[in-house]
Amino acid sequence: MPKRKVAALEKIDADFPSLQNKIRRDPKSYVDDFRRQWDQYESQREIFLVAPTTATAEATEHFENLVNLIAHVADCYPEATATFPDDLKTMLSLHHAVLGSELREKLVGSLIILRRKEIIDTANVLTCLFPILVSSPSKTFRAQLFSKILNDMRNSNARSINHPLNRTIQTVLYNLVTADRSSPRAIWAIKLTRELWKRQIWTDAKPVDVMKEACLSENEKVVVGGVRFFLGGDKEREELEDEESDDDVDLSKIKHQMTINKKSRKQKKQYSKAVDKLHKQEQKKHKPHPLNFSALHLLHDPQTFAEELFSRHLQSTKNKLSLDTKLLVLQLVTRLIGLHKLTVVALYSWFIKFLTPRQQSVTSFLASLAQGTHNLVPPDALEPLIQKIANEFVSEAAANEVAAAGLNSIREICARQPLAMTETLLQDLIQYRKSKDKGVMMAAKGLLSLFREVDPELLKKKDRGKDATIGLKDGSLLIRKFGHEDTGEIEGLDLLEKWKEEEKKRKRVERGLPEDAASDEEDVASEDDGWEVDSDDSSDSGGWINVSDDEEEAPVPKKRKAGEKDVDDQENGDQKEEDKAEEQRLSKLATTTILTPADLAKLQELRAAAAIDRAMGRNRKKDDANASRHQDDGLTAEQIEAPAKLRKLTKEERVALAKEGRPDRNEHKSTQAINKSKKEAAGKSTSNKEKARKKNFLMTLGKAKSKQKRSLVETRKVLKAHVEKSTRGGRRRNGA
Amino acid sequence: MGKSAKRKKEKKADFQKPKYKVGKAKPKASNVTDTSFKAKSIVMGQQSLSTTAPDVIQQFKHSLSVASSSKSDKQRQEGLAHLTGQLSQQPPVNPVGTHTLLAKLLPLITDSSTPVRKQLLKLFEQLPGEQVRYAVEQATMFIRAGLTHLSADISNDALNFMEWLLDAADVDLVSCPGGWIKTLNTFCAMLGWSAAAGKDGWSSGGRGAAVRGGKASLNQSRAIEILAKFLAAGFVPEEAVAEDEGDWDHLYRLPRDPNAFAYLNLTGMRRDEDGEMYADRESRQRVFHRRFLTHVVKGVEAAKKEGGTSGRAAAGLDQLLRSDMGMGDYEPLGAMDTEDLLDLW
Repeated sequence: MPKRKVAALEKIDADFPSLQNKIRRDPKSYVDDFRRQWDQYESQREIFLVAPTTATAEATEHFENLVNLIAHVADCYPEATATFPDDLKTMLSLHHAVLGSELREKLVGSLIILRRKEIIDTANVLTCLFPILVSSPSKTFRAQLFSKILNDMRNSNARSINHPLNRTIQTVLYNLVTADRSSPRAIWAIKLTRELWKRQIWTDAKPVDVMKEACLSENEKVVVGGVRFFLGGDKEREELEDEESDDDVDLSKIKHQMTINKKSRKQKKQYSKAVDKLHKQEQKKHKPHPLNFSALHLLHDPQTFAEELFSRHLQSTKNKLSLDTKLLVLQLVTRLIGLHKLTVVALYSWFIKFLTPRQQSVTSFLASLAQGTHNLVPPDALEPLIQKIANEFVSEAAANEVAAAGLNSIREICARQPLAMTETLLQDLIQYRKSKDKGVMMAAKGLLSLFREVDPELLKKKDRGKDATIGLKDGSLLIRKFGHEDTGEIEGLDLLEKWKEEEKKRKRVERGLPEDAASDEEDVASEDDGWEVDSDDSSDSGGWINVSDDEEEAPVPKKRKAGEKDVDDQENGDQKEEDKAEEQRLSKLATTTILTPADLAKLQELRAAAAIDRAMGRNRKKDDANASRHQDDGLTAEQIEAPAKLRKLTKEERVALAKEGRPDRNEHKSTQAINKSKKEAAGKSTSNKEKARKKNFLMTLGKAKSKQKRSLVETRKVLKAHVEKSTRGGRRRNGA
Repeated sequence: MGKSAKRKKEKKADFQKPKYKVGKAKPKASNVTDTSFKAKSIVMGQQSLSTTAPDVIQQFKHSLSVASSSKSDKQRQEGLAHLTGQLSQQPPVNPVGTHTLLAKLLPLITDSSTPVRKQLLKLFEQLPGEQVRYAVEQATMFIRAGLTHLSADISNDALNFMEWLLDAADVDLVSCPGGWIKTLNTFCAMLGWSAAAGKDGWSSGGRGAAVRGGKASLNQSRAIEILAKFLAAGFVPEEAVAEDEGDWDHLYRLPRDPNAFAYLNLTGMRRDEDGEMYADRESRQRVFHRRFLTHVVKGVEAAKKEGGTSGRAAAGLDQLLRSDMGMGDYEPLGAMDTEDLLDLW
C-alpha cells in the first residue's frame, strides 16, 4: 500500500508540542482539540490502570505525552481538568512502585507544573509526594522526589515565609519520626529538615524538635543523622551564608570586557544582571542581621533530653550502637551539659571505664569529659576521674603522647571546674614540666599557669609566681567557691569610665587647671554637646559617688608601674582600699546614669580596641586562649592531642613537606621541560626566545651571512633603528 | 612552527609500502584473522535447529507473540496474517482462546502502521461473536482510545473496529460499565458536538471537522453513521432481546452472561456516573436525554445543513432519534431521577 500523503495542516496538528502551543495561545478556538485529547487521556488512563505493569513502551510514551500536554494547558480549562490533579496523585500513590521510571518522573513533573500554575497548593503536592518518598524502593526516584520537594519548599518560602505550609510539613515530619521509632524512614525527615535549616528557611524550635525526636530513635542511622545535625548543623548554616555572600561580581572586569569584546545583547544583559546582583548585595548588607539561634539553644527542656539520650544510647547495655555512633551521642550529651550547665551525675561514673590509654579513640572520650564539665558539677564526682586519668595516662612509664593527652585533658577539666583538683595530685602533675618531651612539658606548664590563675593556694609557694603571690597577699585574687556565679555586667564599662575620667582631666589641663580637682567644679566647666552634658550631669549629681579620702593623692591606681611593686605595707593597704572603692564606683556607672548613644558608640570602640590589644599581646593574660574559644564550639579530640604534634617529624613527612609545591617528577624531565609542558597544557604560547630557537636553521642562515658583510655605517644604522624601535615600543608601536 | 619529524613520519606511515627483509617473516596485516584455533563442534548461539517443524500450536503462539510485541511493522503484520489464516480454517484453530487473543491484540488498535491495523480488523472479523462478548469492556476501552487518537488514520480505523464490535456484541457493548456514557462522550468529542462548546457564547463552528478536507469529511460521515448504529443498538426495545426460551428456565441455572453480577460492583472501585452500567433501555434513554440530546440534535442540524455525505448520514441519525426505535417514545419524567437523588446525597 502506498504511503498516503499527509496534508500540511494535519501534519502540524499531529505533534503535541505544536498543539500545546496553539492551545495556550488561543484556548477558546482549540477547545475541540483539547476535548479530544482529554478524552484520549481518559481512555488511555483507563487502559493503563487496568494493567499498569504490562503496558508497552509506545503506549506509555503516548500516555506520557498526553499527561504532559494536559498539565501544560490545564490552566486554560479549569473546569474540564478539575479531576486531573487528583488522577495524577492517585496514580502516583497507588502505582509508584510499578511505574516505569520515565512515566513516574513525568507524573511528578506534571504535578509540579500544576503547582507552579497554582492550580493546586504546595501542601497538597507535598502530602502526596512525601509518603512516596518514604516508601519508594527506587533510589533514583527517591533522589528526584527529594530534590523536587526541597525545591518546592524553597520556592514557596522564597518571597515571604509560608508559615502554614511550614507548620504542616513540620508536623508531617514530626509524625514520621515519632510514629515508628525503629524504622529507617525517618532519615528523610532528617535530610529535609537539615537542608531547610541550612538554608535558613526553617529557623524556629519546631524543626529542632523533630531532630530531637530523631536523636531518641532506635534506628542507628536516624540517631546519627539527628546527632550530627546538632553537632554540625549550625556551622553548616554559617558556612553556606558566608559562601553566598562571597561570590562577588566584579563590575569593573565586566566593564572592561565590554570595551574589548563584540557588543551584543547578551553582553548587555550580563552587565545589567551583574548590576542588579550588586544592588541586591548592597541591600542585603544594610538589612538587619536575622536573629538565628543555634539549634542547641532552641532545644526545649535540654535536661530531659540529655538524660534520655544518655540513658537510652549510652548507659543501657541492650542497644548495639557502634563506637563511632556512641562517641557522637556522647559528644552531643556533653555539649548539652556544658552549654546549659545541666546535671547528669550518672555520666561521670559511667566515664570511668573508658579512661584507659588502650581504649579506642580515647582522646575523644577525654574531650567529651572535659566538655561535659562546668562549674556546677560536684567536684567529688570529678575527683576520681581526674585521679584515674592521672594514674593511667600520666606516668613515667607511659608514652609521651599519652602523658601529654592526659595532662591536657586534666587541664581542660580543671579550667571548667578547678575545685576537682587536690593539692598533692596537682603538685605531682606539675613535676612533669621538667619532662624532656616538649608536648608533656607544655601540657604541664599549661596546668601550672591555669592554677596560678584560678587557685594558687594549691601550689607550692615557689611555683605560684609573682602575680599570684601578690594577688594572694592583697586579696584581689578571688578564689571560687562551689556554686559561686559572677554578677552580670556590661562588658567594657570600666573602660568607658576610665576614658571619661581621662577626658575630663585632659580638658582641665587644656584650661590650665590642676589635673585633679573636686568633682563639683566640673559641672560649671563642662561644655560638651547635649548628649555628653546629660550623662556627665547625672554621673555627678548627688552624693552617690563614694569618694574616698585619699583620692587626691593617688587618682590613677591602675597605672601602677612595675617599679612600684616594692611598696611598703602601709601603702599596700591604701591601694587595697582604693581598688575596692573603684570597683564599687564602676559598677554604679550603669545604674546611676543613662548611657547615651554617643556613650554606647564609644563603648563599642573601646571594646574593639581592647580586643585588638589583647590579640596583639599587650597586657596578655594567660587564660586568653580559653576565653577566646567560644562556648558554643565544643571541645574536640584534636585540642586534647594538639601538642602531640610537636614531636619531631618522621622522614616521610619531611620528604612530603619538601615535595609540596614542586612539579610532579613522575617523568624524568628537566624543570624547564616540565614548565613548558604545563604552559602548553594551559593553552599559553611560547616565548619569543623559544620561537627564535625553534626557527628553521636555513631561514636564519641568510641573515647571519649578510650580518658578517655589513659595513660600519650599515651596522650603525641597524643599531640605531633597534634603539628607536624599542623606544617606540616595537614594530607594532605598543602603547603609542 | 616546525612540526616534529616524528609526527610527520607517523602521518606518512600509512601510505608506505612495507619493507620485506630477507630471513624475516612477512609482517602481518592489521586486519589478519587468527585461524590457529581448532574446535570439534560449532555452537550456534541464537538459533535452534531441529529436524522437525514446530507443531501448529507452537506456530500459533509464536506468531501471536510476534504480532503483539515485535518492533517491526512488517513482522507484526505477517504475524497477524498467519493468525488470521489459522482462525479462518474450518474448524478454526485457536489454541489460546479468544479472550487471551483479544487481550494480547487489542492494544494494536492504536498501532501506528496502517497495514497492521487493516490486518488486525480482518483477524477480529474471524473471531466468533459469542466469545467476543466476554471481552467487550476491554475492547471498548481500546477502541475509545483509538477514536480520539491524534492521528486521523488511527481514529478512522478505530471507527471500523467500533463497527465490528457493534456487529459482534452490540447488547453487551451498550450495557457494560462505562460502555454507554463514555462511548457517547468519545463520539461527541470526536465530532466536536461537545457540551462545553457554546457554553460561554463562543463556538468553534464545528471546526474540528471542517478543517480536514476530503478524507476527513468522509471520516465525519462515517462517525455519524457509526454513532447512529451505536444509538440504535442502545435503544433496541428489550422485548426483542430476551424471551427466546422458557420463562423459568434461567431461574435455576447459573447465569451464562459475561460478568453476570457486574451491576453489584462487588470488587471494583466505586464508579462515577460515567463509568456506571446502564443495563436497560429506559435508563440509557434517560441519561442520553439528560446529557447528550441537545448537543447531538444541534450537531445533527449543523451537519444536515452542510450536506454531502455527512449530511446524509446526519439525516439518518435524525430519523433514528425521532422514530419509535430511538428517542421518539421517550417522555421525560416529572419526578427527579435517581441520579439526582444520589447527587443530593
